[in-house]
Amino acid sequence: MIENIVYMNGYGIFVWSSFAITALSCVIVYFKTLKTLRKYEKEFAKEIEDLSTEKRKTLLESSKVASQVVSSYNKTI
Amino acid sequence: MLKFFTNSNIFFWIEKLTNFINSIFFVLLLVAISFAIIFSPPDYLQGDSVRIMYVHVPAAWIGLASFTLIALISILNFIFKIKNLMLVSKSIAPIGLMFTCLAIVTGSLWGQPTWGTFWAWDARITSMLVLAIFYLLFIFVHKFISGEEKANKISNMIAIIGFINIPIIKYSVEWWNTLHQPASVKILGSNTIHSSMLVPLLLMFFVLILYCALIFLMKYKTEIIRIKKKNLKRL
Repeated sequence: MIENIVYMNGYGIFVWSSFAITALSCVIVYFKTLKTLRKYEKEFAKEIEDLSTEKRKTLLESSKVASQVVSSYNKTI
Repeated sequence: MLKFFTNSNIFFWIEKLTNFINSIFFVLLLVAISFAIIFSPPDYLQGDSVRIMYVHVPAAWIGLASFTLIALISILNFIFKIKNLMLVSKSIAPIGLMFTCLAIVTGSLWGQPTWGTFWAWDARITSMLVLAIFYLLFIFVHKFISGEEKANKISNMIAIIGFINIPIIKYSVEWWNTLHQPASVKILGSNTIHSSMLVPLLLMFFVLILYCALIFLMKYKTEIIRIKKKNLKRL
């Protein structure tokens, strides 16, 4: 049975190549997208931390996005 | 109602949706691949090479649907000039390009055992290649043209012009003599594909749609942070 699944009557090379190329592309794009997202989150969180205490407090109170990014960044470090 | 569509609310829901998709994705992927590779029967003419269909067809559907969505958003954006819509189309374009390329490559791998060639300048294949070029143009405009408004205008025009190609791809198998067979799965009208093949095909499509949603949400989130980062500099 395993031999049938691997060779697929001679079509295995074409079928497995198609699935492998699709899987590989999906994995590469996923990790590249995640890396870019993490990079922006990190830069944004650092820029917020560099603000003066007063400005930072006002920003975190007014912007949900900023507060979420900072809290998730703090969890990762 | 409009308050719901603020970046803060969208950002909150992106987190929730991403976690939900992550929790069900691998189980569904395993089920879909098992059906596609093991449980679905070989075709009476094409044998096991028909299994390529389970990645080729969903990839082509996603490539076409993504560009259609981008074009519709571009039309809406021309009329209403909603900034969030542009973020949506910018986030969809790379996913659409990837799946269009995958449809071309897997189609080529299917062509060799079925037609005896990896490539032919056939109407369907050529029009898919044209679609990939339109995707590239759309992405390059945002990458290389400085000035967001100018880039948005040009990319909107590219999307609307490229939209002409969508019905050409869809009906190319009927308008010209091509190597491609006519569509077996129809939204309107009865399908000419057996349920033992239709189920794995729809399962694979659903799993790839979930993957697209995951990438889209991450890209959209990145775009929101990029805008907030820009605004931070003005403080």
